[in-house]
Amino acid sequence: MQNTHDIGPTRSRRALLKALVAAAALGSLPRQALSRSAELRWWTPQGAPAQLDAYRYQIAAFEAVNAGVSVVLEPLSDESYATQLAAAFSSGQVPDVVTHLPSFSVQSYYARGLVEPFNDVIEAVGPGDYYPGANNVFRAADGNYVATGIGNSAVNILWLRTDMMERAGLERPPITWDEFRAALTKLHGRGIYGTALPYGRNSATSLVFIGFIHGAGGQVFTPDLQVAIDSEETRNALEYYREIRDFSPRGATNYSWGDCLTAFVSGATATGLYTGRVLANVRDQNPRLADHITCALWPRLSRDIPPWTFNDFPSVFVPAQSRHKGLAKRLAAFLFEPEGYIRQLHAAPGHVLPVLRSIGEDRRYRDNDIIRKYRDEVNLMAEAAAGGYNLGYESNAHRANEKAGEIIASGVIADMVQRVVLNRENVDAVLSRTARAIEEVMKG
Amino acid sequence: MMAAMSTGGGEPGSQAESRTSRSPQAMLERRYARLGLLLIAPSIVVFSAVIIYPLLAAIYLSLFELYTPTLEGGFVGLSNYRELLARGEFWVSLRNTLVWTAGTLSLQIVFGIGMALMLHQNVWFRSLARSLILFPYFVSTVVAVLVWRWLFNDLYGILNHLLVEARLIDMPIDYLGAMPNAMISIILVGAWKYFPFVVIAVLARLQTIPDVLYEAARIDGAGPIARFFDVTLPQLREVLLVIVLLRAIWDFKEFDLIFLLTGGGPVISTQTLSLLVYKEAFALNQMGMGAAYGVVMMAIMLVFMIFYIRQARKGDSS
Repeated sequence: MQNTHDIGPTRSRRALLKALVAAAALGSLPRQALSRSAELRWWTPQGAPAQLDAYRYQIAAFEAVNAGVSVVLEPLSDESYATQLAAAFSSGQVPDVVTHLPSFSVQSYYARGLVEPFNDVIEAVGPGDYYPGANNVFRAADGNYVATGIGNSAVNILWLRTDMMERAGLERPPITWDEFRAALTKLHGRGIYGTALPYGRNSATSLVFIGFIHGAGGQVFTPDLQVAIDSEETRNALEYYREIRDFSPRGATNYSWGDCLTAFVSGATATGLYTGRVLANVRDQNPRLADHITCALWPRLSRDIPPWTFNDFPSVFVPAQSRHKGLAKRLAAFLFEPEGYIRQLHAAPGHVLPVLRSIGEDRRYRDNDIIRKYRDEVNLMAEAAAGGYNLGYESNAHRANEKAGEIIASGVIADMVQRVVLNRENVDAVLSRTARAIEEVMKG
Repeated sequence: MMAAMSTGGGEPGSQAESRTSRSPQAMLERRYARLGLLLIAPSIVVFSAVIIYPLLAAIYLSLFELYTPTLEGGFVGLSNYRELLARGEFWVSLRNTLVWTAGTLSLQIVFGIGMALMLHQNVWFRSLARSLILFPYFVSTVVAVLVWRWLFNDLYGILNHLLVEARLIDMPIDYLGAMPNAMISIILVGAWKYFPFVVIAVLARLQTIPDVLYEAARIDGAGPIARFFDVTLPQLREVLLVIVLLRAIWDFKEFDLIFLLTGGGPVISTQTLSLLVYKEAFALNQMGMGAAYGVVMMAIMLVFMIFYIRQARKGDSS
């Protein structure tokens, strides 16, 4: 048998060179040309260690039933995903599956033809199994679904220290802004801050403040997407946000999500604003608080105004430039397989809530120490998130706003808050300027 | 064939030229010239690929209105430039960039020269100290920023804790969320991060200054301060010229440290031009406008550098 790799003394240098060129050419061919195997790239900004373990379990299960397919998990950060996706889209080197991005980002990409319609994945998962309206936020102007929710998230949840409430004589969580301010006055002091809200120049401030605008009965856009931020309701929200500034730590002027979470979990504040991740963090980082916390819907200006829960609708979608769309969609649907999906939800119990009724009622999902201990809180968040909204979908009457991601990323709303609260600039002038800036983004 | 044609020309001068051009010396020179071109070609190719192409691409992109993820859009000529020059945000960011660059560069030079002078002395653990001083420069910016954010934190940061314990302040200082604290903080962290570069360069030069200069100065009655200004500083002049040039370029376009510390806030009080480029290109997905800001940044740097080098040369010649 001839050894083809043996280059004996009789072979010329030219032959060796030819062999090298041939090898290089072969190496440059796409892998699929050499074999039938495929490699899928999965991007996610949710990269806590327990969550990554859960994803790896799902990947192993998927690879086991799809011979020749491998999945590479590539975690991103919440702050950098837009940049990385922009670079990926413009270079054509896209991931095959992307999870946990807010719904409004996906709408923006879909409007530019960068995202594959997702109707077939929703069909594969089972449309009847979703909580009612769970996919409304993903419906595009052309009637297609651009993605589906991989979870629900109730972001602007009011967290409370029950032991401190008791000492302050507060019998129930505040419902209105006046009650909240009165509660903060009682709770603030003796080394403990009343609350920790973000006042930084970041997306957290913008997203939280949009909740305050709705809490005042206002909106950023009309249902047909005309800019409506310059309103009496926003004025009230800005003034209230400024009034309660002193109940937050001084450094709140630079706070983002993580700082607000840590401030409450560490016990530095009596109340806080965050998702259900508070529960796991309290258990792991400050268990002495575990029996003294509860949550409620975020207060609003008056009882007549319905609560507005901010849900970023963590999504799963497939970029249109993916070279393995079929496989990618199969993986996307596979992520909802009960065993793996429940592991994924248990990796951040209360933080990412199920979108499927069958999972929410599944005994295996309910069989979790945090979900058992905080059953009422988890149920409250699940209900609030299911009826939640965000800037891309401000109400059931609103059209999908494809520019919502860019408005948040532009920082105009955080700028508005900082100008009014920190710089004490004239509210009318700031509002008018903000409305113009948003209109510019909408036109761009 | 060319040689045959020239020999057939019949002119004595051209025959002589032909003979000269065919002489072994001339052929050797031509071969050397070809070899020289061949050897320099890779550098030119790499230089063109990493400097010339991106530069031309940036200028080209700045003439379009482009959506970043798809790079689709239309030609708009110079309107991006007109628009950016009309924006107040550009001028505020330019002012911030100049304040940051001048502030952090000055501190880097002062701390760097001071530390280099100290490490040039015969002090205990000099070798260890020389190694440790490089630590801030080598540590990743992300790690450095995390550490500083931790130190600055109002709830559990050591700086506020010590100041409160020492009864120097009643309430924690808001280092990163209020002005002018935020600008001062980023300037200080920048100086801490990058002064080791100055230390390395100055220390290397200090070791080559002849001792006879100091001896002569001592004989003339010069004290330590006079020796520094009359001997050391003039000897450091050239190396400082290079340091200022390089660090000014790097500080002018600094992004990660400022972005991670303040994100440009409060409002846009610490937003530099680099952050503005990022915001346009990746937050607003306006690649054309982002490229226009980048080109303007380059032009500003170019003007400053030409001015700076001319001034330095004038100083040398005088």
